[in-house]
Amino acid sequence: MLCQNCKKNEATTHIKRVLNGEATESHLCSNCAQSLGVGNFFDDFSLNMPDIFSGFFGDSVFALENGRLDRCEKCGCQFDDIIKTGCVGCADCYEKFYSKLLPSIQRIHGKANHAGKVPKHTKEKVKPKEKTTEEKIADLQKDMQKAIDEQNFEQAAIIRDEIKKMKGEN
Amino acid sequence: MTWYKNKGNEGDIVLSTRVRLARNLEDYPFPIRLSTQEKMNISLLVRDSLEDYDSKKLSFIDMSTLSPAKAVSLAEKHLISPEFAYEGAGRALLLSEDEDVSIMLCEEDHIRIQVILPGLNPEEAFNEADKIDSIIENKLNYAFNERIGYLTQCPTNLGTGMRASVMLHLPALSKKGAMRRLSTTVAKLGLTLRGSYGEGSEISGDIYQLSNQVTLGISEKAALQNLTSIALQIVSQEKQARAAVIKDEDFVDKIYRSWGILRSAYKLTSNELTNLISYVRMGASEGIIDIPTEKLTEMFIENQPATINVAEGKTLSQSERDILRAEKVRKELN
Ligand SMILES: [Zn+2]
Ligand SMILES: [Zn+2]
Repeated sequence: MLCQNCKKNEATTHIKRVLNGEATESHLCSNCAQSLGVGNFFDDFSLNMPDIFSGFFGDSVFALENGRLDRCEKCGCQFDDIIKTGCVGCADCYEKFYSKLLPSIQRIHGKANHAGKVPKHTKEKVKPKEKTTEEKIADLQKDMQKAIDEQNFEQAAIIRDEIKKMKGEN
Repeated sequence: MTWYKNKGNEGDIVLSTRVRLARNLEDYPFPIRLSTQEKMNISLLVRDSLEDYDSKKLSFIDMSTLSPAKAVSLAEKHLISPEFAYEGAGRALLLSEDEDVSIMLCEEDHIRIQVILPGLNPEEAFNEADKIDSIIENKLNYAFNERIGYLTQCPTNLGTGMRASVMLHLPALSKKGAMRRLSTTVAKLGLTLRGSYGEGSEISGDIYQLSNQVTLGISEKAALQNLTSIALQIVSQEKQARAAVIKDEDFVDKIYRSWGILRSAYKLTSNELTNLISYVRMGASEGIIDIPTEKLTEMFIENQPATINVAEGKTLSQSERDILRAEKVRKELN
C-alpha cells in the first residue's frame, strides 16, 4: 500500500485518527509520519507504532536468530509475534523474553530501572524476601551465562558491567 | 469542571491538562491476545472494583452499543482515543458526568485511567487518577515488575505507565515560525510537542500538545514537574510573542476579519471554524475582542462534525452541517 500523504513511498505506519466526524485509519510512510508529528496527534500513548517499534529490534540480530520460536507458556505468544506486532502478549512474556526485550527497552527509555509508584500487593509480596548482594550477583551470573548461551554478547557485556559494579560496592 | 466549558490556570494559553495511567491485570493476557468475551469480562471486573469510588458517579458504557457518531464525538472531545472510537467490540468506557474522568477498558491495555481538567493543573489531575488507581489495586492484582514497573502491552509505556499532557494554544509562536525550534528543544528535555493536524499537513487552530516521552526510570512526580516547568516557559514565550504580534496592524486586521466572518458567515467548515476561532481567541485574550476565551473553546469543541451529528440526533451531510454550524455560531455571537 502506498503512503496516503506523499503517494510515493510504501506505507509502513498505520494510525487511527478522527477526521471529518469519522474514526479512520491513515496509512503513511515513516517519513510522512515523522513530518506529520509522528503518531496520533492527540493520542499521547500512540507514539508507539508497531513498525517503528519493531525497528528497534532490527539490529539485535542475535535475539532474532536465537529462540524466536520459543513460546510463552501462559499466553502462547512467540518472540516472533512480539517483533511483528510490537505488542507483548502478557505479563509472563516479560519474564520469558526479558533478556531479549531489555536492549530495546533501554533504547526506548534510556534506562531500565523503574522509579515510581509500586502497587500495594507487590510491595507486600516483595518486601520480606529482599535479596542479599551475593544472591543478586548469583542471579546476574546466571543471566549472563544465559545471554552467552544465546550468543547475545551485547547483553552479556551489560550484565558483566553490572556485576562488576555490585562487587565494587561491596 | 468539564475542560472545554471552564477556564483554568493560564487558561488563555493552556486549554487543558490530561493525565493517563496504563494498567494491566496480572492474571490475564494483554488485550491483543483476548477474545471479545474475555475483554468484556475484564471490563466488568474493573467496573466492579470501583464500587468504592465515590468522588464522582461513573457510567458504564459498552462501546459496541454506541453509534459511530457518539463514539467519535467522545474522541473529538479528547475523552477517548481515536483507536477506541474505531473499534468497539469487547471494550467499555467508564465516564463521569462532568467528563473529567474517563476510563478506557481493554483498549491497548486492560485499563487506561484518564483525568482531564481545564487549564494548567497537573497536580489535581494526577491526584484524581492516582486515587482511582489505588482503589483498583486494592481489589485486583496489577501486572508489575520491580525493575521495569507497570507492565504494558507496548514496551514504550513501561515504568509508571503515565502520560501527562497539556493542550496549548500558540498562535503567536506559530506565526513567528518558532514551533520547529521549540519542538526540537523540548525533545532534548524528554518531552514531545506535537500539533493537531487537519486534513493535510497543515496545523489547524494553532493547537499543540506537550507531553512526557519517557515513562521508565523517572517518577510520576518528577515527570509532572518537568512538564509543568516547560509548559510555563512556553506560556511565557507565547505571552511575549503575543505582545509583539498585536503591534502588527495586519495581524490585528486578521483578528477583526475573523470575528466578522464568524458573526456573518452562512456556511462554515470545521477547519475554517477552527482557524477563525484561533485568531479571535487570541484577540479576546489580548483585550481586542470582548468575549470570554472559554466560550470560544466550547464553540470549537461542540461544533466538530460528529459532535454536531450527536446533538442533532441524525447524520447530516457535510453541507447541511456547515450551514448549521454557521447558524449556531452566529446565534452565539450576535
Ligand atoms: Zn509518505
Ligand atoms: Zn505471554
